[in-house]
Amino acid sequence: MNIEQASLGPVSTMVYRIKIKGHLGPQWAEWFESMVVTQEEGGCTLLTGPVADQAALHGLLKKVRDLGLPLVSVTPAPLNEPHQKCFIKEKEE
Amino acid sequence: MLSSLLTTKLFIPSLRQKIVNRRRLIEKLNDGLFSGSRLTLISASAGFGKTTVLSEWAADCDRPITWLSLDEGDNDPSRFLRYLIAALQKVSENVGSGLLSVLQTQESSSIEPILTALLNEITGIPDNFILVLDDYHLIEAKAIEDALAFLIEHLPPSMHIVIATREDPNLPLSLLRGRSQLTELRGTDLRFGPSESAEFLNEVMCLKLSAGDIAALETRTEGWIAGLQLLALSMDGHQDTASFIKSFTGSHHFVIDYLIEEVLHKQCDVVQAFLLRTSILDRICGPLCDAILGSSSSSGQEILEYLDRANLFIVPLDNERCWYRYHHLFAELLRQRFLQSCSSGNEAEGLSEYHIRASRWFEVHDLKIEAFQHAVEAKDVDRAERIIEGKGLPLHFRGAIVLILDWLKSLPATVMNSKPSLCVRYATLSLVSGQTTGVEEKLQTAEAALKAQLKGNEPDNDTRDLIGQIAAARATLALTRYEPEPMITQSNRALAYLNPDNLLARIRAIWTLGFAYQVQGDRPAARKAYVEAVELSRGSGHIRFLIVASISLGAIEALDNHLYQAVEVFKNALELAGDHPQPFENEAHLGLARIYYEWNDLEASEKHGQKSLQLARQFDPSIDRYVFCELFLSRLKLALGDTGAAAADLAETEKSVLHHSFVHRVPELAAVQVLILLRQGEVKAASLLVEKHELPLSRARVYLAQGAPAEALDVLAPVYKTMVERGWKDEQLKVMVLQVLALQAQGDKEEALLLLASTLALAEPGGFIRLFLDEGLPMGELLSKLELRGILSSYVNKLLTAFNAGEQKLEKTPKLSSAQALFEPLSPRESEVLQLIAQGFSNHQISERLFIALDTVKGHNRKIFDKLQVHKRTEAVARAHKLDLL
Repeated sequence: MNIEQASLGPVSTMVYRIKIKGHLGPQWAEWFESMVVTQEEGGCTLLTGPVADQAALHGLLKKVRDLGLPLVSVTPAPLNEPHQKCFIKEKEE
Repeated sequence: MLSSLLTTKLFIPSLRQKIVNRRRLIEKLNDGLFSGSRLTLISASAGFGKTTVLSEWAADCDRPITWLSLDEGDNDPSRFLRYLIAALQKVSENVGSGLLSVLQTQESSSIEPILTALLNEITGIPDNFILVLDDYHLIEAKAIEDALAFLIEHLPPSMHIVIATREDPNLPLSLLRGRSQLTELRGTDLRFGPSESAEFLNEVMCLKLSAGDIAALETRTEGWIAGLQLLALSMDGHQDTASFIKSFTGSHHFVIDYLIEEVLHKQCDVVQAFLLRTSILDRICGPLCDAILGSSSSSGQEILEYLDRANLFIVPLDNERCWYRYHHLFAELLRQRFLQSCSSGNEAEGLSEYHIRASRWFEVHDLKIEAFQHAVEAKDVDRAERIIEGKGLPLHFRGAIVLILDWLKSLPATVMNSKPSLCVRYATLSLVSGQTTGVEEKLQTAEAALKAQLKGNEPDNDTRDLIGQIAAARATLALTRYEPEPMITQSNRALAYLNPDNLLARIRAIWTLGFAYQVQGDRPAARKAYVEAVELSRGSGHIRFLIVASISLGAIEALDNHLYQAVEVFKNALELAGDHPQPFENEAHLGLARIYYEWNDLEASEKHGQKSLQLARQFDPSIDRYVFCELFLSRLKLALGDTGAAAADLAETEKSVLHHSFVHRVPELAAVQVLILLRQGEVKAASLLVEKHELPLSRARVYLAQGAPAEALDVLAPVYKTMVERGWKDEQLKVMVLQVLALQAQGDKEEALLLLASTLALAEPGGFIRLFLDEGLPMGELLSKLELRGILSSYVNKLLTAFNAGEQKLEKTPKLSSAQALFEPLSPRESEVLQLIAQGFSNHQISERLFIALDTVKGHNRKIFDKLQVHKRTEAVARAHKLDLL
C-alpha cells in the first residue's frame, strides 16, 4: 500500500481497489457496500469504490475473509481516476 | 424441550459418519500436546475443516476436552468470563462457581482479579484437560485478548488451550514459538492433498471419478475442503460429469460461488426458499424457522432433518437435534443471495420483516439478546429500545453492555438527536461501564431533543422521568470528580423529577446525595439519606443496593461512635452479600476491623482487616480504597507491638501511594507515620513531618513528645471547638483524649481527671477501649485515680483490666528508655534536688541545704517524678541512673 496516501489518517474518504483471487459476478456489488465488481484476466476480481475510512476498509476486508476469498492486494486509487465500469460476462454461454 | 443457548455454545461437534482420515494431523496435535506446549493454534481461512479436525481429535483424545464456540457477543468481558467458567465446569463441577455469582450480580467487571482467582481454582483441578475456543476470530475486544494472553502466560500445568480461528490472534505467538510452547496447524496442513481429495470424492461422497478428473478438480480447488464438499454435492447425481468438470476447471469463477448455484438449484423450491430465508439466523431450530417463514405448517423441523441427513451445510449444535446452525461459509453465501433476492424484489417480504419475525420469536422465548440483535438488523430502533428496557431486569444486566453501546454508537446522529431516551441510555450505560467521555454531550443532546419535543408544553410523566434520569447521570459524573455541590443539586433534581416507580434510579440518587453530604462532612444529612436509601432498597428487593446503602449507613454510625449499631449493620450487610463478597464490601470489613480494634479484640480486627484488603485489591488499581486498609493494618501492628513490621509495611504503602499519585491519601499516611516515628522515639523526624501537613492531632502528639503540653493544648482547643460544632463525635473523642494527656503533662492533674471523666462518659456507650489503652501508662495512671474515686466504676474497671492484661505487651514495646526520650529535661534546680535525693537526703534536709521552703521541695519532687514517669523516690533514683542523669 502506498504509505503517503494511506497516511491521510483514519477519517478520510478514499477510493480503494481490493483484488481477490477468483471471479465474482456483479451481483456481489451490494454485498460489498456498493463497490463496483469487475473481473480481470488471469482470474482475479477487482472491487473498486470509495471507502469512508480505515474502519470501513477493515469491515470490507472482513467480509472478504469471511467468504474465504483469497486476498491478493489492497491499493488506494487517486480520487480523480475514472472507475472501471465494464462488466465482463459471467459465463460465456 | 428447547435446549438452552449455553448448551449449544458448549457442545462438542459430533463427527459425521464418513470422513476423510486425517491421521497425520491428529498425530501432530497429540505430539504437541504431550511435548508440553501451552497453546495449539489452528489458523486458516473459512472452509478448511478446522472444526472437523478438532472434533475428530476430541473423539479420539484421552484427555477430557471442553469446548466453547465463540460469537460476537462474547466480546463483552462479563459474558466471556461466564461462558469460560461454564466450559470449565464441564471438566470440574464447582470451579469458579463463586465467581459466577459475582459476575451475575455486577453490572460490569474488571477481568484481571477474576481471572487470577479463576486460575487459582483451575490449579486445583487434578486431571489434565483441554479447552477449545472455536471461532476465535470473532473476538475483537482488547479486554478479551489481554485476558487470554494473561491466561496463557499463567497457564496451570494441567490445562491446555486450543484456539481455532480464521486469522492469527493477537497473542504473543512468536514468543510461544520460540519457547516451543506453540503447536500450529495452518492452511497448508489442513488442505486435502491429492490422496485425501481422492478419498473424499470417491469413497466418502461415492462419486466414481477417474484419477485424471480428481487431479484436475484438486488443482482447481487447491484442496480447499469447502470447495471439494460443494463440488461433490453439485456432482452428485449429475448426468454429464465430464462436461461439468470441463466447464468447472476451465473457468476462473470463485469456486464456491459458482458451485452453490448448482447445489441450490437441485433443491426443490420450498427448500431453496427455506435456506435463503433462514440464513439470516445464527442459530436455527424448527419452531423458529416456522415463525420466520410465517408458515402455519410446522415443516421447519422436517426440513432441518432433511438437510442434516443430506449433509447440506447444516451443523447440529446439540444431541437432541433441536438447534442447528449453517456452516459459516455457506451461511455467508446464502445471505448474499438472499440479500440480492430481496433487493431485486423477488421476495414477498422485505429483509427487515424477516428480522422482525425472528426478533419477536426470540423475545417470546426470553432470548432477549438475540431478540435485540435482530431488531437492530431490522433497523427497528423502537423495537430495539423496547427490548433494552425489558421487563424487570433491563437487558444490560445480562452482560450485553458492549452490544448495546456499540449499537448506540452506530446510530446516525439524526436518530439519536430525535430520541432523547436513547441519548440518556447511552449516557447511563457509558457511566456503568466506567466511561465518562462523551456523556455530558449526550445528556445535552437529550435535553435539546426534549425541549424540541415539548414545544413549551408541560412534560408528561415519562418525560419527567427522563429529565430525572439526566440529572441522576450528572450527579454520577460529579461523583467521579468528587464534587459534592453538583452531586447534591443534581440528585435533588433527579428525585424531584424521577417517577416514583423508578426505584432503582431513586435509590441511586438518594445514595449519591448521602455520599455528597458525607464528603462535605455533614454527617446528620448523610445519615438521613442513607437511612432512606436502606429503607427503599429493602422495600424494592434490590439486594445489591441494600448492601451498599447499609454499608454506607454503618460507616456513619461508626463515625457517630455508635459502635454496637454499626457492627449490627455491617454484619447484616455481609450476610446479605453471602459467600461471594464483592469489592465494595471491603468497607464493611474495614468498618468491622476498626470497631473490633477499638474493642480490643485484636484477632477479629486483624481477620476483618485482611479480608478488607483482599477485597479492596479487586478494584481497579486506580482506586485508592486499599490504602485505607493498609494504613489500618499498620496501626494494628503497632498496637500489637510490632513496630518494625508496621514501619516496613507503611513504607510499602507510601511507595504505592506516590506511584499512583493518590494525593488525597497522603495526609492520612503521614498521620500513621507520625505514630510510628513517635513510638520509635524519632521525635525530630515526626516534628518535621507534621510541618508538612495539616494534621492538628498529630502535631499535638509531637508537642507532647517534645514536652510542650501548653503548645499541644493551643493546637487542640480550636480543633475541639470545630468538632463540636460539626458534630464529628469520633474526632471530638480523639481530641479530648489528647487534651487529657496534655493537662496531665502540664501538671494540671485535677483538670485532667475531670476531662477524662467527661471523655469516658462520652465513650462508654460505644465501649471504646483502645482509645485509652493506646495512650499507655500515663492514661493508666489517671484511670487508676478515677477508680479510686469511684467514677464510672464498671467502665473504668474494664479499661484497667485491659491495661493490666496488656501491661506485658506494653512493657515489650520499646518504651522511651533512652536519654533523648525524656519528655522534658530537668531544670537545673530539679537536677540539684535529684542529686540530693539520690544521696539519701530527706525532703526536710533538702529544703535546708538549698534554702528553699519544704513545699517548694515537694513541688520540685512532683515535677521530677512526672518527668521521669515514676511514683517514688527509689524509682526516681533507679530511673535517673538508667538515664544517666546523675
